[in-house]
Order: sequence, then structure tokens, then C-alpha cells
Amino acid sequence: MSKVSPLVIAAAAGFVALVLPFVGSDYAVSFSIQLLIFLVLAYSWNWIGGYAGYTHFGQVGFFGIGAYVGSILISRWEVPWYFAAIAAAFAGALTAVVLGGAMLRLKGPFFAIGMFGLARVLEAFALAFDSITGGGTGIYLKPVSDLRPLYYGVAAMAAIMLLLTWKLDNSRLGLKLLAIREDENAAESLGIRTTRLKIGTFVASSVAPAAMGTFYAVYLGFIDPPTAFAPNLELTTIAMVLLGGMGTVLGPLCGALVLSVVNEVLWANYPQIYLACVGVIILLAVLYMPRGIVNLCMKSGWLAIGRPLFRRLAAREEQTAS
Amino acid sequence: MPIADLLVGGILLGGVYALMACGLNLIFGVMRVINFAHGDILAIAALSTVSIAVGFKLPFWVAVIAVPIGCAAFGALIHRLILRRIEGAPMIMSLLATYALSTILVNVALLIWGGGYSGLPGVLSGSVRLLGINVSLSRLVSFICAIGISLAVWWLLEFTRFGRAVRSVSRAPELASISGVAVERVRLLTFALGTAMAGLAGVLVAPAFAIDPQLGSRFIIKAFAVIIVGGMGSYPGAIVAALLLGVVEVVGSYFAGAVIGSALLFLLMLAVLLVRPRGLLGAGVAL
Repeated sequence: MSKVSPLVIAAAAGFVALVLPFVGSDYAVSFSIQLLIFLVLAYSWNWIGGYAGYTHFGQVGFFGIGAYVGSILISRWEVPWYFAAIAAAFAGALTAVVLGGAMLRLKGPFFAIGMFGLARVLEAFALAFDSITGGGTGIYLKPVSDLRPLYYGVAAMAAIMLLLTWKLDNSRLGLKLLAIREDENAAESLGIRTTRLKIGTFVASSVAPAAMGTFYAVYLGFIDPPTAFAPNLELTTIAMVLLGGMGTVLGPLCGALVLSVVNEVLWANYPQIYLACVGVIILLAVLYMPRGIVNLCMKSGWLAIGRPLFRRLAAREEQTAS
Repeated sequence: MPIADLLVGGILLGGVYALMACGLNLIFGVMRVINFAHGDILAIAALSTVSIAVGFKLPFWVAVIAVPIGCAAFGALIHRLILRRIEGAPMIMSLLATYALSTILVNVALLIWGGGYSGLPGVLSGSVRLLGINVSLSRLVSFICAIGISLAVWWLLEFTRFGRAVRSVSRAPELASISGVAVERVRLLTFALGTAMAGLAGVLVAPAFAIDPQLGSRFIIKAFAVIIVGGMGSYPGAIVAALLLGVVEVVGSYFAGAVIGSALLFLLMLAVLLVRPRGLLGAGVAL
């Protein structure tokens, strides 16, 4: 099999996504919503984690902020969920702007720890300020009778994220981010405004997760701190990007498809060991396939060879000890 | 509750943080690996202690000896199977690997021990009067052991041949290798030592706290806060910061509730990260 025309595949996938709610069962729609939410999260994480190379363990913090902002708007003032999602996205962006300047002065492990801690602080606040957030009891929303509008909303977001990532991958901006990932000091000495770019990427990558938080809250009809700031959301998202291929256009898509199906099977049959299995998948991917599925496809000629193959991320053999 | 009680309570709590954070710091210094699974090793060690003392009805000191040794062996295994293979890879890989490992350990612990809380009734129970303050015996003993071992490891690092090798690998691995230090072996031993310290911290936590498999994730963030406030890679910094943060947590919890009390630690950590990333006693470890 030689190269497949990407347009044909994209058109087919788009068609399937459009008609699915009308031909598929409720279960299929529900499953697809989850998959698409993860897809959007994975694409957002890919920008900061894959392209800019900043290990971001705090994305779930923005997801949680979005979930709470959206739920509060919906439950207090009966705002329609799509406006609530937009408001949540703004809240996410605003938080990221405020935090970005401070957090992105941190590099490598400091950033990872800082964001990891921040998500936990936010969770603690959500628990403590129970007059606003309902504390441990959480917020209950009216269950939605028809999941289809929600589905189309998430699907549209996912399509936008895919498109933006494709644009990014083919732009100077994308190259600049990769330069930051490979060697931040060198990038800066070449005249790339690293700080501005990093903050921009950070803000951009926190908008969609916040919107997804609201979608998720509406989808579940319920939100509480452990659900909104669940570390396993973070873990699954990262696992998807890593498995698919960090810093690639199709990586998050491949990873999300594969891992969602695996998750669904595991979750249905062995709910107790589900998370441990996700951990094992990440571990195996780190050890044996750090460049992800997309790279394997490129090597075997299924996909056109793109930039990732020339990158040194996780390439142990040619790298000197750091 | 008077201030003196709070201070003593905080310092006693800080002892366990010190032992845990020193192990984490040691591993970071030598291997440049942030071990997200450190807290879960502590949790599993604590749960194993309960199993040994309550389940098998063996005396407590058996756990004090057996659990850290088991943890050291486990640490050596992790180093062999995972960390050694991703040496030299970008840092994101080791972060993801230990994060994944942490998830695996929590969930395996949940499978084995279930999600409920357990404790060690009857071991080191009661309290002693110290300087006019009632101090829980278990916390006092765990504090003394934790600080004792932390200082012993510090001595090991500063004044022995092995310690010199560890410090040289931490500063300049290539030069150490040229000078005849078996870098790989030092890394293996350091990781095993660090894990054993987490294990011992777990054993000491068991009689003093209610423990469950999620304990690790609560402790690891505090240990992160400690090593960041104290300065990454700085051994005395970790001990000082651990005691300081213990006091901050206890005082904060007393005045503002437990949730805000522990959130205070992270806010302090974030503040130090932003204002003085080297930490209070920063050793200035090059990344």
C-alpha cells in the first residue's frame, strides 16, 4: 500500500462524523463525544507539550476551571450550554494569561512540578469554597435529553483543532516552537522571542480544555472536584499524544482513536485495572515507541515523511548526554 | 491550641517530609529524574507495614527492617528496567515514565489493599510529656528516626568514598566517569537508596497517620514543595524546608482548615519557584 490521499481520508472521516448521530445508536454518540473531548484535549496538549516541548501536567486545571465556570453559569443563570462553553473558554484564556507570564519562566522539571501543583491547588480551592462550587457535593445540572447538539459542538471543536494544528505544522510559527523544544537558548539567540511565543502557546492550549470542561459537565450532568480535576484525564490525554506521536498533526488523532477503543474495552471489562493499564501503555510507549505511531507509519511509508522524522525528540542514539 | 503545640506538631510532621524529600532530592541530584512515583512507594511501604504488623502479626521492627530493603530492591529493579533505558533522552520522557509508574503503583495498591483507610492501632500509641507539651509517641519516634536517617545519609554523602562518588556523578557525570567512577553503579545505588528512604518514611508514617493507597499523591506534592523551597539538589535545604513547611502546614490548617493548610504549601512553593527558583538554600544545580 502506497501513500493514501489525505483528502480522501479527511472527506470520508468528515462524512462519517456528520452522519453518525443519525445512524449510530445512543451508545455510539455517547462514546464519540468522549472520544472527541479527549481528541480536543490531546490536540491542545500537543501544542504546548509536543511542539513547544513543555511537559504540562496542569492542563486538567484549565479543564476544571472550564467545568466549574460553565456549570455555575448554567445552574445559576440558566445560560445555554454553548454560551457557557464560550464563557468558560474565555475564563480559561484569562487564567492562562495571568499564570502564563509567571509559570513559563520556569523550565523543564520546574514547570512540570509547578503546573502539577497548581492543578492540585485549584482542586483544593474548589473543595474549600463550597458556597460557590458546592464543595464535595458538586453541582448538578439538568440532564440533556438530546446529545446530538453537544456532539456537533465537540466535533466542530475537534475539527478546528486538527485544522489549526495542520496550519501550525506548516508554518514558521510551528518551526519556532520546535526550535524552543530542541534548544531554548539557541532559539533565543537566533532571535526567536521565546517568552512571548511560549505564553501565546500556553494561552492557546488552555482555551479548548476550558471549553471542553463545560461540555464534559453538561455531558455528565454533574461536576465535583475529583471529576473536574481528575488526574486520570491528564494521564489519558498525555498517553494519547505520546502514543500517537508528539509534535505531529495526526499523532493525537491516532493516539486518541487507539486509546479510546482500548479504554472502552478495558473500562467495560476490567474497570479496576483500567488506569494501571493506561500507565503501562505510557511506560511501554516511552520505552519502545517514544516517537509514536505516526512515526512508525512514516517509516513504513504509509504516510508522507514529515518533519517529525528528522527531529531528535527521544532519539537516544544520536544525542549526547544532557 | 497554643502556639508551642502547633510549632512542635509542625516540626514533628516536617521530620517525615524531610526523609521523603531527601530521597527525592538525592535521586534528582544524581539522575536528573523527578520521581513522581516516590510518594506511591511511600504509600505502598506504609500499607505493607500495616499488613506485616496487623495481617501477619509480626512485630513492628520487622517492618522497619524488611520494608526499606524491599523498597531498595524495587528501586534497583525500576532503575534497571525503566530509567536506565531512557537516560540521555529528553527530560519529558523520564517525567512521563515516572508519572505512569506512579499511576500503576496507586492502582495496584488499590487492587491489593482496597480504597479504605487503615492504621496501626496499638503500635507506639500513647503520648509523652515533653517540655510541658503532650506529644504523640508515634510522631515523636517517627520524627527522631526520620531526622536521624536523613542526617546519616547526609554524613554518608559528605564524608565517605561512596558519597564523593555520588557528588561527582551529580556535578559532572562525564568527568566522574573519566576519573574512574562507575557512573551506572552509582546511579543504581543512589536510586535504590532514595527509594529505601521513601520506604522507611512510609514505615514511619504508618503508626502516625491514617493511610490509604492515595496517600502517595498527597505526600508527593508536599515533597515537591519541600525540595523546591529548599532548593533542588540541596540536601540541607531539604531538611530545613521540610521542618519549615511542616510548621506552615500545621499552623495554616489550624487557622484556616486542612484544605487551605495544604494549599498553602503549594502557594509557598509557587511563590519560591517564581521569586527564587534556586530555593532558599539553593545549590544551583545545573539542569
